Amino acid sequence: MEKVLLKNIDNPDSADIGQYLKSGGYQSLPKALTMEPKDIIEEVKKSGLRGRGGAGFPVAMKWTFASADPKFPKYLLCNADEGEPGTFKDRPILEKNPHLLIEGMAISGHALKAEYGYIYLRGEYPAAKHILEAAIGQAYDKGFLGDDILGKGIRFHLAVHQGAGAYICGEETALIESLEGDKGQPRIKPPFPVNVGVFSKPTVVNNVETLSNLPYVLEIGGEAYSKIGSPDCPGPKIYCVSGHVERPGVYELPMGTNLRDIIYTHCGGIRGGRQLKAVIPGGISTPVLPPDKIDCPMDFVNMPKHGSMLGSGAVIVMDESVCLVKVCYRALRFFEHESCGKCTPCREGTGWLRKILGRIENGEGMDGDMDLLLSVSGNMLGKTFCPLGDGAASVVQNFIKHFRPEFEEHLRTGACTVKG
Amino acid sequence: MFSEEAIKELDGIKAKYPTARAALLPAIYVAQREFGWLSADAYEAVADILGVPRAIARGVGTFYAMYKNMPAGRNVVQLCTNVSCMILGAEKLVDFLKNKYGLEPGGTTPDKRFSLVIMECIGACGTAPAMLVNDDFYENLTENSIEGILGKYK
Amino acid sequence: MITVTINGREIKLEKPVTVLQAARSAGIKIPTLCYHEQLEKYGGCRLCLVEVEKMPRLQTACTLMTTDGMAVRTETEAIAGVRRGILEFLLINHPLDCPYCDKAGECELQDLVEKYGPTASRFREMKRKVPESLEDPVLVRNMERCIVCTRCVRMCEGVQGASAISVISRGGHSHIEPFSGGKFECEYCGNCVSVCPVGAIMSRLHRHSYRPWQVVSETETICPYCGVGCTMVVQVRDDVIKRVVPRIGTPVNNGLLCSRGRFGYEFVGSGERLTGPLIRKNGVLEESTWEEAIGLVANKLSEIRDKFGGGAVAGIASPRCTNEDNYVFQKFMRVTLGTNNIDSTARLGFAGAQSFIENIFGQGATANLIPGLSNSDAVLVIGGDPTAVNPILGLQVRSCARKGGTILTVGHVKGLRHYSPVEVKPSVNTEDVLLEGIVSALKDKKGLPGSHAALEEKIKIIATSPQDVTKACGIREEHLLRFVEVLASSATPSVLIGKELLQSAGASYRLLLICALNYLVNGRIYLLSERANEQGLLDVGCVPDLLPGCRPVGYEEFRKRYESLWKKALPEKPGLSLFGMIDAARAGDLKSIYIMGENLVYNVPDSSAVEAALKKVDFVVVQDIFLTETAKLADVVLPALSWGEKEGTFTNMERRIQRLRKSVHRQGLEDWRIISEISQNMAVKMNYADAEGVFAEMSRVSPLHRDLAYEDLEGGKAIYPYKGEPLRGVAAEIRTDRGTGMEAAGKFFLRIERPLFHSGTLSRRAKALVNIYAGAVARISPEAAGSLSVKDGDVLRISTEAGSLELPVSVDQSVDGRCIMLTNNFEGKGAFGLIRYALDPVIEAPALDGVEVRVEKG
Ligand SMILES: Cc1cc2nc3c(=O)[nH]c(=O)nc-3n(C[C@H](O)[C@H](O)[C@H](O)COP(=O)(O)O)c2cc1C
Ligand code: SF4
Ligand code: FES
Repeated sequence: MEKVLLKNIDNPDSADIGQYLKSGGYQSLPKALTMEPKDIIEEVKKSGLRGRGGAGFPVAMKWTFASADPKFPKYLLCNADEGEPGTFKDRPILEKNPHLLIEGMAISGHALKAEYGYIYLRGEYPAAKHILEAAIGQAYDKGFLGDDILGKGIRFHLAVHQGAGAYICGEETALIESLEGDKGQPRIKPPFPVNVGVFSKPTVVNNVETLSNLPYVLEIGGEAYSKIGSPDCPGPKIYCVSGHVERPGVYELPMGTNLRDIIYTHCGGIRGGRQLKAVIPGGISTPVLPPDKIDCPMDFVNMPKHGSMLGSGAVIVMDESVCLVKVCYRALRFFEHESCGKCTPCREGTGWLRKILGRIENGEGMDGDMDLLLSVSGNMLGKTFCPLGDGAASVVQNFIKHFRPEFEEHLRTGACTVKG
Repeated sequence: MFSEEAIKELDGIKAKYPTARAALLPAIYVAQREFGWLSADAYEAVADILGVPRAIARGVGTFYAMYKNMPAGRNVVQLCTNVSCMILGAEKLVDFLKNKYGLEPGGTTPDKRFSLVIMECIGACGTAPAMLVNDDFYENLTENSIEGILGKYK
Repeated sequence: MITVTINGREIKLEKPVTVLQAARSAGIKIPTLCYHEQLEKYGGCRLCLVEVEKMPRLQTACTLMTTDGMAVRTETEAIAGVRRGILEFLLINHPLDCPYCDKAGECELQDLVEKYGPTASRFREMKRKVPESLEDPVLVRNMERCIVCTRCVRMCEGVQGASAISVISRGGHSHIEPFSGGKFECEYCGNCVSVCPVGAIMSRLHRHSYRPWQVVSETETICPYCGVGCTMVVQVRDDVIKRVVPRIGTPVNNGLLCSRGRFGYEFVGSGERLTGPLIRKNGVLEESTWEEAIGLVANKLSEIRDKFGGGAVAGIASPRCTNEDNYVFQKFMRVTLGTNNIDSTARLGFAGAQSFIENIFGQGATANLIPGLSNSDAVLVIGGDPTAVNPILGLQVRSCARKGGTILTVGHVKGLRHYSPVEVKPSVNTEDVLLEGIVSALKDKKGLPGSHAALEEKIKIIATSPQDVTKACGIREEHLLRFVEVLASSATPSVLIGKELLQSAGASYRLLLICALNYLVNGRIYLLSERANEQGLLDVGCVPDLLPGCRPVGYEEFRKRYESLWKKALPEKPGLSLFGMIDAARAGDLKSIYIMGENLVYNVPDSSAVEAALKKVDFVVVQDIFLTETAKLADVVLPALSWGEKEGTFTNMERRIQRLRKSVHRQGLEDWRIISEISQNMAVKMNYADAEGVFAEMSRVSPLHRDLAYEDLEGGKAIYPYKGEPLRGVAAEIRTDRGTGMEAAGKFFLRIERPLFHSGTLSRRAKALVNIYAGAVARISPEAAGSLSVKDGDVLRISTEAGSLELPVSVDQSVDGRCIMLTNNFEGKGAFGLIRYALDPVIEAPALDGVEVRVEKG
């Protein structure tokens, strides 16, 4: 399949507008500007495009809600916080193919009658900031952005807003708080961003990869797009594979590509022919899978049926050299560090779980620790304000679900069998 | 107080948003560049120029992990140790920095040349282990490559 | 109509409310911590999670709105487990120091754990350790106990509007700090203390000396400080005031207090209180007995009255004393001594301004409800900072801004800085030009309503162009136009008038302009009032030309009525006003003056002149609770019971009459009792059983208070006009005087500010307030500091022909140009010592604002 999202990213000056135009960029925007906003949304509906940020929410549905709200101005926010550990799928678009995103946002802006857009870029991507700002500048010069885009009397302004190191700002309401100059703590829903979002105005938040799909949707039409990959969850998808495979990296494949194929076909299998031990298929927050459970189509609808989630499509592959207690501990250290502190179970629970895992990892576990882990994470699960806390709890529960013996080994012997 | 250029820069930033408050995060970046770190004076300056209560400016500034709420070294080594980097040996690199440069996580070398910050995922998992030195990415790190890289930062 | 079922019970609701409110309305208890009825929803603690049918996840009752047909369960096994789990999370880092914690017994966490909590702790690691912060003089911060419900922060930011504290860091490291990290350096309202559910932020005043279960008595009473009249609960143990707290649902302040109200009570128990009567014997004040003192006063006053006539005696009433005290006092002056020479420091602006405004709009024009302010769509503030003078009223202004109203401020209004989109600061003594400009513009925009001939007479001749204003006041034209725009388009405007305006050159003319403005936009006027019973003493007749209920002494038919009730002929001529008395004293025409609860020397400008005048009076009686600068000059000093020790009533600036209640006991007599004793000794019967008895007579005598009884005052229900009839009629023509202020150019001039933390004589004896704000400073602008080459802490000598002061400098961005900002709150350091004033001929207030001063490095 020809690449859409990662098209010619290997070209050294792929980020330059000239290069982008040469390879057929900014063709869909003029087309979109001649269309009625509702018709664009209709096209997206036909395409069956789902959000790539993790939740897999149908894009057209979210857009319809926002369009239905009578308040103006409306805002379009691009979620470029890419914080889910293991995820590096948006970065190549941001750094190598920024105009694809800009074109996608200009199209979406018109579809939503949104006049202002912001790209919420994580602080950890300083290079991307300069690249994006340069690209936005070029787009303004060429009239793809501004008060009167391509003389069609349509306005869309775009700016980059840099985060400062907070995973929670990837959550859309926390992102909005952060954009407004506040702490990145999630808001009470309802009201939902589509009605009361940034600056109290109707707001759509979409992921980088999601928005980058729009030029293609308009290019080939929703009908044709919906034929790519999984029927009820179509389109090209960027899978980013890290860990113990021969060829880690980003892979643009049809949505629903089998996890085993991704690992063994596309990434050349486990490095040095070692044994696979565990796979985290969609970023740290998604349930870990043991080797015998990786025959599953990687999309939003099928992964849950196979005991995990697609999440951000960040595949972390671990071979036999890895101590899973340690991985679990490290994951909880992450959640503890990123807990925003708003709600009790996450603020206190993540730290507590990390402490328990820490002592087990250090061979200082106490009897009852397994039950304690399950009970404490159980007291978090479903009780936190936002999904971050749930994610933390489910990591512990799933690691124990599939790898309990290894934890108990640590407890019993006070040592790690795989260390070294 | 901000320098003339900084004030100009901040006017430009404010113009990007419908409210002055929304310029708080970028303004804090400017302040830490201007003042070296986020001292009380830095926060006062931010608060004054945006008309935001100073306690709020500080509250927001201390929420985010990448703001310098402590004086730091000239160069900030931001090494990722999250899972993908960890399973490819990031921890050995932490030890290496400790032994070779006396650089502890969260610490600064006596000569103020380096500070070390342990990062959560920095989006370079496919080329792990990875780090940022100030604004520059470095990937597929080894003990040797690190030595070479840090050599470039005085 | 919405119907929801909670635990199988059907509940009908008029309008959608949260599940929590619905449950509470039906008496169903759901535990909460981060929820607080005064604060914005948060949903963070997760303690109120409940099961809702058709919803996969548990929901927080404090945030979820009810919808028709919703079915909720709050008491399942699962929910019980959830609550136990949440409380366990809160406890893992919460110290178990309840036996030592001041909060024990009223700690929400402690109560919840008792009811729902886990029994044993499964947490094996070290709890978080944070040392208690004692850097602040009045507030103690203990972050080990903090549960990060953020109620204090939401109170400080969303209600008080001070934004002095915030959550620092995030996740498990989250904790609450003021900006400095130590001292709060805030408005010290202490409202964060009220809402903290645990012992994390507490008052230092009763540290380790307060235990809720040891409180012997709780008394609901009215704050002694300003004219807002907040209701407060005084908690007492061993006959000592241990703590003052607000209560939700009370009129005016509904659960809030300011620094003075909450922390200013220590004057009651002050060691400086007078213990017994003092009599001057060969030059020195010596202890004596009540008998001797009262006898002496009675004889001397009779003697003087009989020899020189009542006109040779004058009385000063007190805005700190109750209506009962003041009523008896004016009766004593009029009936026992036969003179109308009675006045008070209300003369320094409030009294004249109010009658001026009432002459135009009718009585009660300033009697507007304070909570109503927040519903205005525009508020004009001129002549003072409401957040400092009347803090709780100030909060209503901030709340108005938060609700989308526009705040317009003229001059130096620090407390509203973040709230007003346009602050205009006219150069010294040009407020009149600014107001003229606004009035002319409004006249052209809106036209004349045609309902007030006399006022329109005046308005017609006003024609000042925006350009004139820009030239004279140094105000940007667009600011002026924005002002006019906002006022013209406002449907429910309010106008707040502060002392600085009433005490400026040409005050009456400026008032006229404000009345004109108010007339053109059909607004409501609020007169800021610094003293708790300033309004009350006017209404009960402590005025030279008005009898109780504000009836002019000049009108015979009125006078006759009082004479028949009091069984005594009354003087027909209005008596001397405050300033008339001072002149008479200086001229030697005043033989005696009786000063009740007023520090005249200190609180009247040109202190040395006042002092000199008093020295010329043969027989000075001062009745007070402290040996004030004034009392030191007396021939007889009579100690009175204070606010905390007596019953009575105050009338606040809304003209709401509220009851003061005795909270502690003390040997002594109420002001009214002392006076009636003296009257008895002068053979004029005055016997009242108690304050209520006095009130009963007053409500017979005063047409304004007619038929009012104590029970009518319950719950703040006694709002103007009461049962009686107000005074009808407005003036046919309006007198004003334009006055002549100093010329601005290049000179240093003086402004007097009323700081939030002090009132003067009382607050100086309140330890906590002194700890917050220890002494007088001269606040000056950076420019002024530059041109004088002084920095913070350097000493400045500020002088006028009236006197000179040496004060430490405090450089303050918010002060402008050549303005020297002084206060009149500290002994020997009062700005009033510097001022030789001219009176406005109409409202008779002294012009203090913008007086020229000489300044040099001291
Ligand atoms: C804790 C948390 C972190 C998240 N991080 C990200 C992120 O880094 N990038 C992203 O696009 N979406 C992230 N999301 C999902 C967003 O909340 C939101 O669903 C998404 O941006 C919507 O865009 P989409 O519909 O295009 O996927 C996160 C959600 C949660 C709860
Ligand atoms: S679960 Fe709670 S504490 Fe954790 S990030 Fe979400 S809101 Fe914050
Ligand atoms: S009371 Fe509802 S979440 Fe705290």
